[in-house]
Amino acid sequence: MMSEHTVAAYDKELGTLGRNIAEMGGLAEKMLSDALDALMAMDLDLARAVVACDPRLDALQRQVEEFAILTIARRQPMAVDLREIVAAIRVSGDLERVGDLAKNIAKRTLKLADVPRIPRAAIGLKHMGDLALLQLKDVLDAYATRDIERARDVWTRDSELDALEDSVFRDLLTFMMEDPRNISFCTHLLFCSKNIERAGDHATNIAETVYYLVTGTNLPVDRPKGGSSIMTSDV
Amino acid sequence: MTDLALMTAPSPAPVATRAKIETKNLDFYYGATRALNNISLQLAPNTVTAFIGPSGCGKSTLLRVFNRMYDLYPGQRAEGEVLLDGKNILVPGLDLNLLRARIGMVFQKPTPFPMTIYENIAFGIKLYENLSRSELDGRVEHALRGAALWNEVKDKLDASGLSLSGGQQQRLCIARTVAIQPEVILFDEPCSALDPISTAKVEELLDELKAKYTIAIVTHNMQQAARVSEFTAFMYLGELVEFAQTTRIFTAPEKRQTQDYITGRFG
Repeated sequence: MMSEHTVAAYDKELGTLGRNIAEMGGLAEKMLSDALDALMAMDLDLARAVVACDPRLDALQRQVEEFAILTIARRQPMAVDLREIVAAIRVSGDLERVGDLAKNIAKRTLKLADVPRIPRAAIGLKHMGDLALLQLKDVLDAYATRDIERARDVWTRDSELDALEDSVFRDLLTFMMEDPRNISFCTHLLFCSKNIERAGDHATNIAETVYYLVTGTNLPVDRPKGGSSIMTSDV
Repeated sequence: MTDLALMTAPSPAPVATRAKIETKNLDFYYGATRALNNISLQLAPNTVTAFIGPSGCGKSTLLRVFNRMYDLYPGQRAEGEVLLDGKNILVPGLDLNLLRARIGMVFQKPTPFPMTIYENIAFGIKLYENLSRSELDGRVEHALRGAALWNEVKDKLDASGLSLSGGQQQRLCIARTVAIQPEVILFDEPCSALDPISTAKVEELLDELKAKYTIAIVTHNMQQAARVSEFTAFMYLGELVEFAQTTRIFTAPEKRQTQDYITGRFG
């Protein structure tokens, strides 16, 4: 454990940053989880609740940024403190994006209310959602406990999510070819799968940030890749 | 490699192709008290090396060994080797005046001589060289320009050096040091008595000076060390704890003690 600063107020400021990030993490996790539940169950109230959560997450991100900048100006942080503050700025940005992606899924759920559903088309998406949520939860734990092994696991596992996205893409294409009336529903799901995959990427970003925060060095640029389709990764 | 890549590329230890100054197993004693313990390091030519550490860690002492300033005081002695261009300067019988002409020093408090601005610069030059008045004028102007002071004093060269502001006095001292064309300049907390603008001017100057000189600077201001130096040495209780590229020391130091010191966690 890190010893305390001579100036106690400095520790308090870093503590405030950490608590704000924790709150953002909890909120982003809940938004994504609720957005996926709402999509699977066509729960429009829940979808609206997710959309309503987003401004809070945005406000928290601005708060983290402002406080981080203030701390830099006031303390001129060095070494691990500097990395801590830079990490807070980066992680808050990633979490805010995860919230946006959850909001996108929720908005699409609201649009899907009047579209005929094909329940079996959503099964793959459920798997993707579960994995993305697990990734997010793990990386937030890794951040909270400064656990680089756990961060590295998240970083490596992102390829599974990419591979799942590929298979979801192929499934949805098949459903659309089977019956053109499926196209509307499946296209919406296609966008949702992209949103989930992007949320996974943000979990990976956070994993990289945790690694940097703890070690002061970066994970390699090249990460093991899972997906094979050019089309999905270019969407 | 791009400049950015050079600035951020991690390097475990500074390796100079040919060190300007190198210490080997250097110990230093104030009477019976050991103030430096087995210091081995290299100062690369044309770079700025910063020395940081809490008061009493030995950083100023180390600086004073580089030009044998300690010889002025009885009971102080250094053991080991300090090589300047490969030659040990701790050997007895060395011409100390010549050594100090090659290794100049600027102190914490500006120390202008109680004479005119012109004479402050010319005095040192006249000790080592016999120049005509016009040559001397040229050298004085050159030194004052080199210390970024010329424009502020060119119309009052006959005024007393003591009439200048603190920041100007410090740059006058730097000009005086530069005037005798040394190879190495030692700065012992050169900005601790200066306001931020004067400090910025001195820092700007350091950046220009390193093209010609090898520079060692002791500073208590860690941001300053981070700004001006290529390499940083962290010292504690007479020992060299960590010596690495400045970018490394201030973002991800290797030693716990270094980290605690630069982040303000030192007991």
